Amino acid sequence: MDPLFTIISIILILPISLVLGVLYSFLIRKLNARFQWRVGPIIRMYSDLSPVIGSTRIWQPLYDILKLMGKDTVIPGSAHKKLFVYSPYMSLIFSILAIFFIPFPGMPLLSEIPYSLIIASYLIIASIMFTILGPVASGSPWGAIGARREAELFLVAELGFVVSLFSVAIAKNSLSIWTLASNMESLPAILLTLVAGTTMFVAMLGKLHIKPFDMPEAECEIVAGPYTEYSGKLLGTYFLSKVFILYAMVSLFIAIFLPPFSSGFIWLPLYAVAAVLLIFLLAVVQVLNPRYLIRKALLWYLKIVVPLAILSLIVAFAFVLGWMVV
Amino acid sequence: MSAHIKILRQVLSKYSSPMTLNYPSGVNPDKKYSQIPEGLRGFIERDKEKCIGCRACYMVCSGRATKYFDVGDKRTIQVFHFRCTYCAHCEEGCPEEAIKMTKNFELTVTDRNDPKAYVNTELDMLTCKNCGKVFTPVKLEKRAFERLSDKINPRVKDVVIADFKKGEGYCMDCRRSRGVMMDAHTKKHVWLEVV
Amino acid sequence: MGIINRARIYSPWLYHMHCGGCNGCDIETLAALAPRFDAERFGIQLVASPRHADILVTTGCVPKQFIPMVKRVYEQVPDPKVVVAVGGCACGGSLFYDEDPENYAILGSADLLIPVDVYVPGCAPKPEQIINGIVQGILKLAEKGAKKDAKQ
Repeated sequence: MDPLFTIISIILILPISLVLGVLYSFLIRKLNARFQWRVGPIIRMYSDLSPVIGSTRIWQPLYDILKLMGKDTVIPGSAHKKLFVYSPYMSLIFSILAIFFIPFPGMPLLSEIPYSLIIASYLIIASIMFTILGPVASGSPWGAIGARREAELFLVAELGFVVSLFSVAIAKNSLSIWTLASNMESLPAILLTLVAGTTMFVAMLGKLHIKPFDMPEAECEIVAGPYTEYSGKLLGTYFLSKVFILYAMVSLFIAIFLPPFSSGFIWLPLYAVAAVLLIFLLAVVQVLNPRYLIRKALLWYLKIVVPLAILSLIVAFAFVLGWMVV
Repeated sequence: MSAHIKILRQVLSKYSSPMTLNYPSGVNPDKKYSQIPEGLRGFIERDKEKCIGCRACYMVCSGRATKYFDVGDKRTIQVFHFRCTYCAHCEEGCPEEAIKMTKNFELTVTDRNDPKAYVNTELDMLTCKNCGKVFTPVKLEKRAFERLSDKINPRVKDVVIADFKKGEGYCMDCRRSRGVMMDAHTKKHVWLEVV
Repeated sequence: MGIINRARIYSPWLYHMHCGGCNGCDIETLAALAPRFDAERFGIQLVASPRHADILVTTGCVPKQFIPMVKRVYEQVPDPKVVVAVGGCACGGSLFYDEDPENYAILGSADLLIPVDVYVPGCAPKPEQIINGIVQGILKLAEKGAKKDAKQ
C-alpha cells in the first residue's frame, strides 16, 4: 500500500475506533442490563422527558468520559505526583498506538510491517502496565490492593493471550498481523481457531475485567480498586484508554482468529457480526458468573488455560508439520 | 455448568420484556408507579374550615413536626414535612377529623423555606374583653360550647348556659375572678352573705 | 449549552453516604437503583469512591461523631457537585433531633453541616420520589456546571 493511504487511514482509524469502542462498551452494559431484566442505558428516551434530559443514551460511555473531563481533578498529597499524573496519559498513548497495528476491514494500517503481532501485543501489555503503575503511585491502600490484584491477574491472563497469538503465528509461519488476517481459512485451521480462540477468549476475560475476573474493580471489597484515588480528567483518560483497549482486543481477536474478516472492505458486514457476537458472548459470561477469589482465579487459569495453551501449541505444530509434509 | 444453563434460561426468559417501570415519564400511566397501596400515608392535608386550633395534633406528634405559633391575634398551626414521620397519629387524634393523610408522596424541594414543604393553618383568636389578652381560637370556644352543651345535666342546663353566656369573651383568669358571679357557682350564697 | 455540560446531565454518578438513622432510607435508595426502577436508564450509576461522584446522596441524621467524616466526604467530591438529602432525618432531623432539649449525640439534619441542594422528604421516601429528587439534582448539576465553565 502507498504511504499516503496509510497516513489517511491512521487518521481515520482514531474516530472509528473511538466510536466502535464506545458502542462495544455500551452494548456490554445494555446486554448486561437486559439479562438482569432491566432496561439499561435507554436507546429512545420517553417523549415527555427527552427535552429535559436528552434523547438517547447510546453514547453513554462517551458521555461518562466527557463529563469526567469537565470535572475538577483531585491529586492526593500522599501520591507520587509525576507517576500518578502521567500514567493515565501513557496508558492512553500506548492503547492508541496498539490500535495502529491492528487492521480494520479495508485498512491494513501499520499491520503490514513484519513484526506487527509482537509490537501490538507489547503495546497492549504496556497500556495495561500503566493502569497498574498509576494506582501504585497513588498512595492509597485500596489502590495498592487493586493494583496487586490486577498484576496477578495480568500475569496469568497474559500466558493464554501470548500463547494463543503465537500458536497461530507458528501455524501460518508469519509474525505480521496483516498476513495472518488476510489468509483464507483452510479446514485444519478451523480446529486451531477453535482451540486457540477459546484460549484467547478466556485471556480476554481477564484483560477486560469481565465478571469472574473483575476482582481488581471489586466495588464491595476494595472501594473502586485501582481507580480509587483518581478523579476528573485522569479518571476520564483511564476510561478512554479502557474503551480503546476493548476495541483493540475485539479487533485483534477477529484479525487473528477469524482470518478474512478484517482484510478487504467487502468483509465489513461480517466483521460487524463477528464483533457483536463476541461482545454478546462476553456479556453472557459476565452475567452468568460470580466473582472469583483472586487465588481461585489463578488456580482456574492454571487448570484450564495452561492445558488449552499447550493443546493449541500442539495443534499449531501439527499444522506446520502437516503443511511441511504436504 | 448445569447451574449456568439454568441461570441462562432464567435470564433469557424475560429478555424481551424487562420489569423496569418508566417512572418519571407519564407516557404510559399503567407503568408509571410501582404500587400505591390502599393505606399509603402521604403528605398531610388540613381542612381549614374544620380545624379549630385545639393543638391535639401538636400534643400527639411524634416527630415534633407539628408546631403552633401565637402571633398577634392569629394562631398558626404548622406541619413541617421535612420532620414528619407519617405516623398518622395526628389524623387519629384530631377531634374534628380535619387532618387527612393524602396519597401524594412526590415532593422534592430545593430550598428549606419552600412553602411546599409546610402546611400552615391560620386561625383567628379571641381577645379578652377585660384585660386585652389574646387567649383562644374563636372556633375552639364555639365548638367546645357546642360539644359540652349536649352533655350537661338537663336539670341545670339553663343555668349553666346562661352562666356560659355571661363569661363569653373573657380569658381564663378574668373568668375565674368573676366565677362567683355565676349562678351555678357552689359558693355563691356564701359570697352573697358576706357582702 | 456546551457538550461537556450536556454530558453532565447525561451521566450523573451517585455516591451514597449513610450518616445515621434507621437504615430505611438506604433500603429505599438501593431499591431506586435496582432493576425495578433502574436508574441506569438515565446514565445514573452508583460509584464506590466519592472522588468519582457528581451527586452525593446523604441519608440519616448526622451523629456528632460523624461530623468530620461527612465534611471530608463532601470535600472529596470534585466540583461541580450536588448534595441530595434523602429522607426526613437528612432533611430536617426528624425523630432524632430537637432544639430544646438538645440531643447529646445527634447534631441534626445534613444541611447544618454541608450545603444541601435538593431535599427529598419522606419517612422513608418511595423509590419513585428518590428518582424524582435525583432528576432535580441533575438539573441543578447542569446549572452549577455552566457557572463553573463561565468562571474559567
